[in-house]
Amino acid sequence: MDKNVVVEKLIKLLEGSLGKPLVLSKDSTLLGDAGLESIQVIEYLCEVEDAFDVVVDEESLSHVSTFGDLASVVERISSE
Amino acid sequence: MSLFSKFDAAAALESTLSSMPVNPTSIVISKVVSASEAIVNGRTTIMAGTNNYLGLTFDADCIAAGQAALAETGTGTTGSRMANGTYKEHLQLEDELAVFFDLPHAMVFSTGYSANLGILTALLDTDDSVLLDSEGHASLYDGCRMSGAKIYRFKHNDPEGLAKRLSRLGEKAKDALIVVEGLYSVRGDCAPLKEFVDVKTQYGGMLLVDEAHSLGLYGENGRGLVEEYDLMNDVDFIVGTFSKSLGSIGGFCVSKHPQLKLVRYASRPYIFTASPSPSVIATTREALKKVQQGQGLREKVWRNAKHLHEAFVELELDIGPTVSPVIGVSFQDREKAFSCWQDLLSLGIYTNLILPPAAPDGGSLIRCSVTAAHSETQVDSIISAFKKVCKERNVGRLN
Repeated sequence: MDKNVVVEKLIKLLEGSLGKPLVLSKDSTLLGDAGLESIQVIEYLCEVEDAFDVVVDEESLSHVSTFGDLASVVERISSE
Repeated sequence: MSLFSKFDAAAALESTLSSMPVNPTSIVISKVVSASEAIVNGRTTIMAGTNNYLGLTFDADCIAAGQAALAETGTGTTGSRMANGTYKEHLQLEDELAVFFDLPHAMVFSTGYSANLGILTALLDTDDSVLLDSEGHASLYDGCRMSGAKIYRFKHNDPEGLAKRLSRLGEKAKDALIVVEGLYSVRGDCAPLKEFVDVKTQYGGMLLVDEAHSLGLYGENGRGLVEEYDLMNDVDFIVGTFSKSLGSIGGFCVSKHPQLKLVRYASRPYIFTASPSPSVIATTREALKKVQQGQGLREKVWRNAKHLHEAFVELELDIGPTVSPVIGVSFQDREKAFSCWQDLLSLGIYTNLILPPAAPDGGSLIRCSVTAAHSETQVDSIISAFKKVCKERNVGRLN
């Protein structure tokens, strides 16, 4: 899957769970730009796993800051 | 970058907290009056934000046992359980825990935190997978992190989410460890343990339940939520603490698996720390007896819990549906949560203020807990204070 498509899907997922439109891009950060608290990130990542039918371990997320980073992790695990 | 630059965020947090009229992280108890009251900020205050669920901290038998142990055995062991720190009383407590839980194996740790670190780092290594509830206590998370195992978080109290993740793990699922709690300490909700056991049965793996906040409260014998749901044979490890219902400090693990005895040789948090002091062991043993005979205490704490829960429902506060001795009142507005907490304190009611990022849903919470030591009058005082504050601050029904 194209990375931009994954990013778009990730942002749509977050919009759905927060119930409001967001102005975010692949370079937007989850904690800063999206305004998520760390506990909300965990909940959001559970939704991401279900949407992409993957299971993502914490270590893989340790360097994730932006939606682009998260898309790369999802892409990698999907292809394994 | 200096070593201390990493504290910039902590410094900002400290500055914010210090600018508050009352810093919620700097409350000092100048005198403990009883198991349910203390002097805070110069006034007698009802403690409605503790974990002293059975009110045993001032139990006369526990105090006498601790005093006798201090006189007979000294102030501390000064050594590890694996060296000079195993006294016969440590072994007696382990035997008594095994009998209490009706499980063959028990192990005592110096704190509840180190029990979780000690068990998880011994059970797991880098080849293993652990599935952890998203609202699991920091000690569970830290233990999983320290072990180097692959950590997969699932949504809080979501057996279906757990099943999906185990399914995606394929063959690895049968060797995975599932980690949940019994009663959760912030919102006061309980794990759907039967459903988690069903998932474990379907996919394999082992189940560890942290009963830190449920020990003494649930089950016919007070063993916890695992006993309440009749799952003693289905759970692989039960961990817990002595610092809540038992009113002292320390931690434990009990299990049906004989390999628990080998954990002693593999658990660094167990090996490289001093064993619990004799007086702590003595008060814990006495408190465990009280839990075993504690139907009256349980009836009292549950009566108080139901009374408080009914009052909060009447006030239409934002609370969960579960009746338990812990009630988390949610606030979307952090400032309002703080104002209410401060008002309650000024009325002589101490509760716990939980602000982001510590609150489970990213909002703010006032955590209120009742114990067997609270009199009906004290619970009524807690309710009256909440009513007054809610009215003045436009919260709930009185909004």
